[in-house]
Amino acid sequence: MENSLPIDESPTEKKFMKNYINIALAGNPNVGKSVIFNQLTGLSQTIGNWPGKTVEKKMGTLEFLGYKFNIIDLPGIYSLSTYSLEEIVSREYIVSEDIDIIINVIDATNLERNLFLTFQMLELKVPMILAINQMDILRKRNIELDFKKLEEIFKIPVLPVVAVHGKGVHELLEESIDMILRKQPHLHYTSNKGKHQHHSHHYHQMPEHHIKRHHTREFKKKEFKFPDLGEILHFGKEIEMRIQTLIEEMKPHKTYLKESNYPLRFLAIKLLEDDKEIKKIFKEKTDLSNILIVAKNLRKEIEEIHGEDIHTIISSEIYTNINSVIEKVVETKSRKDLKRKTLADHIDHLTTHSIFGYLILALVIFGIYAFTFTIGDYLGGLLDGLYSTWSEGIYQAFGEENLLVKFFWDGGVGGLFGGIGGVLVYVIPFFLCIELLQDSGYLPRAAFLMDRVMHVIGVHGKAIIPMILGFGCNVPACSGCRIMETVREKKISVALTSLIPCAAVLTVVMGLVGRYLGFFWVVLLFTINFSVVLLIGRILNKTMPGQCTELIMEMHEYRMPNFNVIMKQTWIRSKEFIFKAMPIIIVLGISLEILLLFRLLDPLNLILSPITVVWLGLPVITGVFLIYGILRKELTLVLLQIMASSLGLTLLELLNPLQMFIFSLVTMLYIPCFATIIVIAKQTNWKYALQVSFLEIFIAILLGGVLYWGFTFFSLLI
Amino acid sequence: MSYNMENQQRTTLRKCLTECDKGAELKVVRVNAGHRAKRRLANLGIVPGSIIRKQRSAPFRGPLQLIVKGSSIVIGRGLADKVIVECRDDSCAF
Repeated sequence: MENSLPIDESPTEKKFMKNYINIALAGNPNVGKSVIFNQLTGLSQTIGNWPGKTVEKKMGTLEFLGYKFNIIDLPGIYSLSTYSLEEIVSREYIVSEDIDIIINVIDATNLERNLFLTFQMLELKVPMILAINQMDILRKRNIELDFKKLEEIFKIPVLPVVAVHGKGVHELLEESIDMILRKQPHLHYTSNKGKHQHHSHHYHQMPEHHIKRHHTREFKKKEFKFPDLGEILHFGKEIEMRIQTLIEEMKPHKTYLKESNYPLRFLAIKLLEDDKEIKKIFKEKTDLSNILIVAKNLRKEIEEIHGEDIHTIISSEIYTNINSVIEKVVETKSRKDLKRKTLADHIDHLTTHSIFGYLILALVIFGIYAFTFTIGDYLGGLLDGLYSTWSEGIYQAFGEENLLVKFFWDGGVGGLFGGIGGVLVYVIPFFLCIELLQDSGYLPRAAFLMDRVMHVIGVHGKAIIPMILGFGCNVPACSGCRIMETVREKKISVALTSLIPCAAVLTVVMGLVGRYLGFFWVVLLFTINFSVVLLIGRILNKTMPGQCTELIMEMHEYRMPNFNVIMKQTWIRSKEFIFKAMPIIIVLGISLEILLLFRLLDPLNLILSPITVVWLGLPVITGVFLIYGILRKELTLVLLQIMASSLGLTLLELLNPLQMFIFSLVTMLYIPCFATIIVIAKQTNWKYALQVSFLEIFIAILLGGVLYWGFTFFSLLI
Repeated sequence: MSYNMENQQRTTLRKCLTECDKGAELKVVRVNAGHRAKRRLANLGIVPGSIIRKQRSAPFRGPLQLIVKGSSIVIGRGLADKVIVECRDDSCAF
């Protein structure tokens, strides 16, 4: 059943409304949703953002049994409350007409917690399939699940899946087709037809025209017959009574409320829960506002009866319902090997250890650095060699002073090579590191160890994750700051991450200070850099309104990283980077050539000279280099080298040791590179991105100058 | 002997999550945190009545790792201070 053909054209919003079957994968974080998504869509994925939100949107297409599918991987969430942006985005999308079928992916080894989301989604009354993943692990633990009972209880298809091996994955699509054709869920275990086999057979024999007629969008979600699940979706009497009261209140406004796509019962529950997004629907219309008052009073009554806040009450009741289901479907055969420690347990123990944990963390950071740097440097060197050989050929053929050659070769192709040579060669090995760290489950351990320290700079432990990634490349690291829950934390962590010296900065530091001055000075530079991180963290923590929230996160068990998944993800991320960043780099390359051609940079050098020459004690020409460095920080060194060789000097003759040190320090701190600034703006806003940039410029200039003048006076004294 | 008896009586005492020993099996009695944090904990299964186990705590008064309904949850120490629990066995001496 592996006939999944990736379709070249990526669906635009309008197209997938029409002739695709649109499927959304929903579930808790780390349940294997992405693995299923990858199995289904292969390399035909696009990663983007939800319109206007900083939430990642993953889409992919495939063709299966003559149907076109559009799969959307929703962000991992624990609940349908509106605690986070992810939850808001997911909830709105699940009920929207854009989606035909929801596949709720559930981790079999963590059924109770996973069903919490399921129970909430069932209230939305949308066509849904339960995919119970990690069945292999469950069986290894000698635990059995009764799928027949599960289907009887949920009255929707429940399928076993082993996503990592691709088992049961395509059956999910068969089930979706089935649901669309029948406009109601069809159960297998109860209908005596055995498991799925009849399906594929059935569809393969279906004549082509027959399929075509059905898969045009005749299917409407609202026509879908959703089973009555009153048996499992009920609360205590005192709550149910009040839900009914609210539904009665809403009934006169039924037609208006239907537009929201939420069932009345769901609206009632959420009104009782004081859900801000749902309340907005009611606030929009004046004659609905009295319902809000009714809901408020009912909520107070319930809270008084229970002596708890409403959300705790509702959550506890849902968990009670879940437990009654679990009692019926889970059968533990023996518990004998539950206590045995696995390799994952040992690694877990070691990586959270009070001494070894920190050592390993340091090693991991060093590893990212070494790996990204070594591979990037090597590949970059190869590409540079290639470019200069080709350039010679081009120059010989067309002449070096040819305008077209200048624009298109030096600017365009040179920019492209610079982009690939300077950035991509670092970004690809770095993506590999990220995927490896993410897939194995290490990163939450770092957050666990560093939580306490991170509180000092106003964020909780999770902020260490983008910061670790920042050592490779600030660009994806800054977009990784989306994991921070509040705007305040996002702002602080994005600013701090942009100050982490990335692999490109390391090139400059090693190539200049490391090579000519020695290791001690490198360490000193890094110490200064980290002190600045600490200082800025303290300042932001003190000045930004609000306070530091507490860390709450799930820490998954370690998993053996899957080579295929890692390679695929690395490729997809790199592809996104190439298509999005490369055009910008080429355009900037050409425009810089123009600036150079008309000698527009010379006045710039003069304008900058009070800072570069007088205050920082650097040669005049470095002004332009620092401007170039905004594009790619290692350009500062590359240009310096070109300059030196064209003058027939070594770097040591061009810059004195103090100048080298100051130049490296300024390069380290002076501004996030162009791509990083864009990402900061996306994660927060442009105003903040510019504020951060100017703050960093200011600090770099201040520190550089103070050091220069300090050293100068000090040497005078001696 | 007397110490032991005292222990037995005290096992039903309520205390903060941070005061309990590693490995102790605990029943959540109350969460005194703010609205938002309370909500998130509830979503993860930490509600009054649920049984949790304290797995480990991070060095230097760092966060706590708990086992809640089969999954491992990390919560900051400041928040753990606000989670009131009851011991279920003798494992947590005062």
